[in-house]
Amino acid sequence: MTLAGKPDVNLPGGAWESDRDYCPTLTPAGARMLDKLRGHPCAPRYRNRSGNKLLAAEVEALRAYEQDVMDAAIGWSAAAPPSWLAEFLRTTYATVPHYRACGSPPARLADVAPISRAELAHDIAAFVPDDADLARMINFQTTGTTGHPLLIASHPLVAGRYLAFHKRALRRFGVTLRHGAGQVGVMLLGHQRRCFTYVSVTPTMNESGLAKINLHVDDWRHPEDRARYLDAMAPELIAGDPISFAELLTLSMTHKPAALLSVSMMLLPGMRARLEAAFGCPVLDIYSLNEVGPVAVYDERAGGHVLLQHRLYVEILDTDGRPVPDGVRGEITVTGGFNFCLPLVRYRTGDYAALAHGPDGPVLVGLAGRSPLRYRTINGEWINNIDITHALKPLAIALFGVHQHGDGAVALRLVPGAMPQADRARALLAPFFGAIAVETLLAEDKIIQYTSDLREAAA
Amino acid sequence: MMNTSGPLLETLTHRLADTPAEFLAEPRIAGVANAQAVAVAALVNDIVLLHGARAPAASLQGFVGAQVKMDRNRLALAMILCWLLADEWFIAQRLPQHDLLQVLGEAARELAASTPAHQFTQDPERREELARIVLARLGFRPRDESVAQATDRLTAISGTERRRLLEASRLAEQRSREIREALAKKAAEESADKWSRE
Repeated sequence: MTLAGKPDVNLPGGAWESDRDYCPTLTPAGARMLDKLRGHPCAPRYRNRSGNKLLAAEVEALRAYEQDVMDAAIGWSAAAPPSWLAEFLRTTYATVPHYRACGSPPARLADVAPISRAELAHDIAAFVPDDADLARMINFQTTGTTGHPLLIASHPLVAGRYLAFHKRALRRFGVTLRHGAGQVGVMLLGHQRRCFTYVSVTPTMNESGLAKINLHVDDWRHPEDRARYLDAMAPELIAGDPISFAELLTLSMTHKPAALLSVSMMLLPGMRARLEAAFGCPVLDIYSLNEVGPVAVYDERAGGHVLLQHRLYVEILDTDGRPVPDGVRGEITVTGGFNFCLPLVRYRTGDYAALAHGPDGPVLVGLAGRSPLRYRTINGEWINNIDITHALKPLAIALFGVHQHGDGAVALRLVPGAMPQADRARALLAPFFGAIAVETLLAEDKIIQYTSDLREAAA
Repeated sequence: MMNTSGPLLETLTHRLADTPAEFLAEPRIAGVANAQAVAVAALVNDIVLLHGARAPAASLQGFVGAQVKMDRNRLALAMILCWLLADEWFIAQRLPQHDLLQVLGEAARELAASTPAHQFTQDPERREELARIVLARLGFRPRDESVAQATDRLTAISGTERRRLLEASRLAEQRSREIREALAKKAAEESADKWSRE
C-alpha cells in the first residue's frame, strides 16, 4: 500500500520501501500527489525511486535561502571583487584538505592555481570540507563531455537550492511559480534509451509534484500517452535539454506550461524560437553544471547569460591561467558557489565566454558550452550521445571520443591505456553501429567527446 | 647536537613575528601566472652568498616550484627561513653552504608537510618551534639554556606538535576514506531532487 492508502501502482523497487524515506516531510496530500503521478492511466513506467530527502528544518532553511537569492544584488567586478571572497578563501584553506596542503591562504585570488575537472575526478574527497556531514551527504554522478567521470559531493539542501536560482531566472522573464498542493510543479524530460525516472514532491512549494520522465517510446504503453500524460499532469514548468525538447515538439499536447527550462546543452536560437512558438511561453536557456549548479540564464536584452548566484565569482582566464580583460574570450572559471560540500576555488569549467558588466550585473557573452549531438545507427535511427555514454559505462575508461564520419562510419577513440578494452567497447557499440573502428586517442586532457561529420547530427 | 650557545630565543621569535611582507609573498611556481611571485631559488642563492658561501646550480633546483600542492607551502616556509637566516647573528657565523641548504630544504619540507607556512610567523608556539629547530639543525642552542634544557624544550614543543600532526594525518586519511565510501554507497540519482538535471 502507498501512504495515501491505495494499492501500489507503478512503484519500482528502490533503496527504501516507503516514500517517506525519500521525502521525510511527506504529508497525506503529498502522498496523494505521488499516487496521481504514478497512477494515471497514461503514466509512463517509472523505473526508479528518489525524493527530496529534506528534513523539516531544512525545508524552512530553504525558504529563507530562496528569499536571500531573490533579494541579492550581484554587482562585483574584477576591480571590486565581492566582499565574501576573502573570508571564503580563509575558510576553504583551513577546512578543505586539498587547499590545506597548499599552505597559508593566499592574499589574492589571483595567487591560487586554477583547478579543473581532472583534479576533482582524481580525488573528490580532497575537496570536501572537514565539516561536511557525511551522514547526509549525497552524490551526483556526471560523465560530462570531457570524458572524466566525476562524483560530485552534495547534500539534499544543495539540491533543493536549485529551485531558488531557477526562480531568480524566471523572474527576469516575468514568470512567478505559483503551483502548490495538488498541482504538478515541474516535469524533467529526458529522451534516451535508458533514463532515470521517478516522482517526488517539492516541500517548499507545498508539495507540488515533480516527475522525471523519459520521452523515449519504450517507457510508455502507447506513444500517444506521452502527450496525454503531460496534458493531464499540466506541469507549471518543463525542464529538459534540446534533444528532449526536440521530441516534445513532435507530441500533440495542448498544455501550455508557464516556461520551459533548457539545461545541460547549448540551446540553439532556432530551437528556442520553435519552442517559444509552440508553447507560447518563455524558453530559458540555463547554463548549469553539476559542479556549480545553475550559473547563468540567457537574456537577449542583456547581451548574454546573466549570472544567477550571489556567492559565485566568475573570472575569464587565458590558457596560461591569467585573467583576461572584459570583452575578451577565455575559459569560464568560478570561485565560491552554493554547494557547501564542494567549495570551488578558481575551478575551470571547460566552457568559454567573455565577461561584460552592465546594468544586469556580470554577463557571460558568447557562451560556448556543450553541444548536443546525435548519431545515426545502422538502422537509420538517431540516438542521443548520452546513449553512447550509457553503453560505454561498463568500461573503466576515463577518456574517450566518438566520431561519426560523413559516410556513417563510427570511430571510437581510446587512450593507449584503455586499448585492452577495445574489443569490449566494440561489442558494446555494435548494437548501434555494427563494426566500428577503434583508434588511439593521444589528447592528454580535455577532448570533445562527441563529434560528427553528419549535418543532421546537431539536434 | 646543540653544543654551541646561540642567540637569545626571543631575538629569533621576534624576528619571525616581524617577517616583512616581501618574505610572505607567493613563491613562484610553474604554471601559476603571477608576475609578482618570488623566485625562491634566487632568494636562497642570495642568502648563501650573504654567508660567504656559494650554492651550486644543481643544489638550487629543489627551490624551483613545479607543482602547487607539493611545493607552495614548502617554498613559502623556505622564504621565511631565508628571512630568519639573514639575521645578523646568523650572518656573523658564516654558516656553511651545506648546513644552510639542509635547513632551507629538508627542514622546510618536513615542517611544511602539515603546517601552513605563515603560521610560523603568526602563532607564538610555532615561532618558538621554528626558532628552536633551526638552531638545533645548525648545532646551536638558545643563549641562557643548557644543552639539557634546550633538548627538553625542543622535544616538548616538537613532540607535542608531532603527535598532534600524526593524529591529524590519521584522521584526515580516515575521513578521506569515509567520504569515498559514502559517495560510492549512495546511488546518485536516488539521493535528492533538483529542479533541473545537467
